[in-house]
Amino acid sequence: MGNIDDLIGKLAKDGTAVKPALHPVLLSLEWIAIAVCYLAVALMISGIRPDLMARLHDAWFAAEIVSLVAIFIATSLSAALLSFPDLHQMRRFALVPGIMFILFALVMYFSWQADNPPSRPPMHSVECTLSITLLAILPAAWIFYAMRKFASTHPNWAGSIALLSAFSIGALWLRLYEQTDSIRHVVEWHYLPMIAAGFAGLWLGKAILKW
Amino acid sequence: MVTLWMDGARVTEKPDNLAALMKQSLNGDQRAYANILQETSRFLRPFLAKRLSFTNEVDDLLQEILISIHKARHTYDGNRPYKPWVYAIARFRLQDYLRAHYADQLRHADDLSEMEEYLHEPVTESAISYEYISGEVDKLPEKQATILRLMHQEGYTAKEVAEKIGMNESAVKVAAHRAYKILRQKLER
Repeated sequence: MGNIDDLIGKLAKDGTAVKPALHPVLLSLEWIAIAVCYLAVALMISGIRPDLMARLHDAWFAAEIVSLVAIFIATSLSAALLSFPDLHQMRRFALVPGIMFILFALVMYFSWQADNPPSRPPMHSVECTLSITLLAILPAAWIFYAMRKFASTHPNWAGSIALLSAFSIGALWLRLYEQTDSIRHVVEWHYLPMIAAGFAGLWLGKAILKW
Repeated sequence: MVTLWMDGARVTEKPDNLAALMKQSLNGDQRAYANILQETSRFLRPFLAKRLSFTNEVDDLLQEILISIHKARHTYDGNRPYKPWVYAIARFRLQDYLRAHYADQLRHADDLSEMEEYLHEPVTESAISYEYISGEVDKLPEKQATILRLMHQEGYTAKEVAEKIGMNESAVKVAAHRAYKILRQKLER
């Protein structure tokens, strides 16, 4: 008991004024704004696929892009919530990426069905995964750096969501840049690796988000 | 009054009480901060005691939780109930502690069947004479030495020792068993 009282005394002495962290919604908006700038710069450097406007008239392509953007927004919000020990008492919102991924999987399923006869896959394969990974490194580093300033009590989950968020930026960039219509190719080399990155994030979160 | 459910337990708090106190603490009011930490340790103690066997473990973990609260205080803004925030940190540290504790236990675990066999033996009827090994007993870790002293010098049963030092009976038997192993190794040299 004496030790506890001593400790409380010491902590109280050290208890200077502290600025409370931003609300997770504002925090995620900040992250989203930074990521949008990054994506814009990346697209400016790489260029946009020449047939983008035409492709956006295809309902399934538009739905794919919209659901990818939704995943990015949902994972950003979820990562911000998971940075707080109590998820800012908004636990349900932290689960929203799950719903977005289900919607995304449905969109991809119907896109695959609609891709008939199947479009010819491009010659390259793993290059896409590598490009997405390279583009996702900076956002991933940024989001982990930002999250480390907080106190996550779900480091594995937080790590996974953080990487999904970063990789969704990479996947979005490549879909807006690469001129391919093969759904099989984008599922195999864009989206499945993105999900694999989410699993790697489980481990990375535990290692990086310790406090 | 706000009522929330955390870990199946009902958590109630007056929103103008703990949250306001913490808000004052975040503004640099050291007295309010000391008060909230006292209050926090008061309601966390039974929460931890229910989940841990030993009083010293509760104290150690409580200290760790208070330090974590201190480190993470910027993640609380005073605009939401305080207790769920604290319990989230406490549960996280408790899980960490238990994980480390069980990993440690696994490292030192004896063969399970040997242990089960042992737990059915009367530990006070050890073949080793206490007087012969009392010098070695004093060199054991304090907890193990106390247990052996009480059982072999003062004649208490494992159950009585458990009551006397606030452990459960199986833990006393396990500690005694480990002490015997150490002594046996020393005496065999």
